[in-house]
Amino acid sequence: MNQLDWIVLIVTLTAIIGYGVYKSRTSRNLDGYFLSNRSMPWWIVMLSIMGTQASAVTFLAAPGQAYTDGMRFVQYYFGLPLAAIVICITFVPVFRRLKVYTAYEFLENRFDAKTRSLTSFLFLLQRGLSTGISIYAPSIILSTILDWNIYWTNLFMGGLLIVYTITGGAKAVAHTQKLQLIIIFAGLFVAGYYVIQNLPGNLGFADALQVGGKMGKMNVITTGFTENGFDWGDRFNLISGIIGGFFLALSYFGADQSQVGRYLTAKTESESRLGLLMNGIVKVPMQFFILLLGVLVLAFYQFHKAPAFFNQKEISRLENSVYKDSLDFYQQKMNSIHYSREEVLKNVESGSLDDAALAQLVSLQKSADSVRAGIKDLVKMNGGDNNDTNYIFIRFVVDYLPIGIVGLLIAIIFLASWGSIAAALNSLASSTVIDFHKRYIKKDCTEETDYRTSRWYSLAWGLFCIGVAMFASNIGNSLIEAVNILGSLFYGTILGVFLVAFYMKKVKGNAVFIGALIAEALVVTLFLLNEYEVIKLGFLWLNAIGAIAVMLFAWAVEGVTRDP
Amino acid sequence: MDSPENEKIPLFKRWSHWYWFLIIILVAEIILFNWITRYFS
Repeated sequence: MNQLDWIVLIVTLTAIIGYGVYKSRTSRNLDGYFLSNRSMPWWIVMLSIMGTQASAVTFLAAPGQAYTDGMRFVQYYFGLPLAAIVICITFVPVFRRLKVYTAYEFLENRFDAKTRSLTSFLFLLQRGLSTGISIYAPSIILSTILDWNIYWTNLFMGGLLIVYTITGGAKAVAHTQKLQLIIIFAGLFVAGYYVIQNLPGNLGFADALQVGGKMGKMNVITTGFTENGFDWGDRFNLISGIIGGFFLALSYFGADQSQVGRYLTAKTESESRLGLLMNGIVKVPMQFFILLLGVLVLAFYQFHKAPAFFNQKEISRLENSVYKDSLDFYQQKMNSIHYSREEVLKNVESGSLDDAALAQLVSLQKSADSVRAGIKDLVKMNGGDNNDTNYIFIRFVVDYLPIGIVGLLIAIIFLASWGSIAAALNSLASSTVIDFHKRYIKKDCTEETDYRTSRWYSLAWGLFCIGVAMFASNIGNSLIEAVNILGSLFYGTILGVFLVAFYMKKVKGNAVFIGALIAEALVVTLFLLNEYEVIKLGFLWLNAIGAIAVMLFAWAVEGVTRDP
Repeated sequence: MDSPENEKIPLFKRWSHWYWFLIIILVAEIILFNWITRYFS
């Protein structure tokens, strides 16, 4: 990285930490530390919800996803606005009326202490591990691309934000997220603008979309139906997006404390609702434009030399392996594809992109895709990670964006990461303090003691998450997969417990507890059947199945065990 | 305090109008995205 990039990066990160510390002054009690004294306006709640949801990997992976698989990933978010409506009608009024600090507190009111503790424990387990991974995942990408030490990168990615998260609690988290999102959107806009400015000749935005469309990447809506009927294994389509995405968003925004804690900071119930609803309006277009950036990068690479594989570290490993000759063969093929593209470019520079030129580019892209597939096979045979989706956008940034902007884009990765990690640490501390420490260890403390305890738990969770990131650095991508699986396995069941609480008034604590255990067993069984290819089931469906199964089993157990 | 009865609902008269607004926007987005898919394919 150039010196100017370093200056931009350091100034941006220091400014955010300084702003976070500046906004840290809050009441020294639980209400101030975890809920900002319930004083936030709806627009900060909305930005805080967005900042919590959008991690660094969101901004790294989404353009890469569009580059390789097209725009259809946006359908994953179609269920979110519908879930926001249900949460506004059902969850928000109850949480606000009971003045709870955590979502799980409500479950003791409705059922019993064991149901509350079980769901809170599952949340802490899943969120604690996944926050560690959300430190590690962007760190490994940056350390690979920029040749940084992974342990130091983990420490900066997960450590610096602890300064303002511990001192300022939820208030500092929300205010920094506001500033972080402004910088993130500005940076992404600059990246998109630069791509379009650097298309050859008279080509512009519409031409880039034409190129993307001809390559099959403008596939925003897909139905999931094939000639053999509906494909249940297809991950992103209109139906799985609306139904599966609805249940996933319902679990995330209704039963995950990292999000519940955001909208509980609103000064009124209306502000909580408005923050959630506005996020429902903004999220889909926002994701659309982030994905569109990937299509623009694909169009850009039709006229500029594209790497055959975007993770250079794996290429270096191949160069020193027995597969070197095969790699050279593929690299030569890629070079010849690039020269052919340059021939097309000569015609384009003298005019506009006609159908013949587009057809040539499509044909060349198919050849490039087959070369990429060949190199991916080599990487896999060499024992490496052959998924380079997360490296596509950042490789483009480092290789082609001007000096200064590279530093800004690297800063964006840190800021996006900090936004979601800070909210997660705050929610992990709140669940530990409210659902366990004050419930089982010390119920009656002064406000000052509660406040100090909360700060210690925030620090402890911060250190735990950095520890997970360091551990992941040693054992690699298998832990990322394990944590992602853990999330999709538990989310549906936790949501099911909440849905029973809200909608099945006759079901009691024991029934829902047993129902949740049976439903969890069912979800794990389906997951294993899918893993061993006995059935085909996209992971989005697991949330819906888990939630519905808890409701059905809890109802059945209640019916069987109820006294006549 | 934050009793919902005393709170003014922004822009619309009832929250149900907000919910319908969200659903209409979602449907409009799906129609627009479907058009984009067809137009550029």
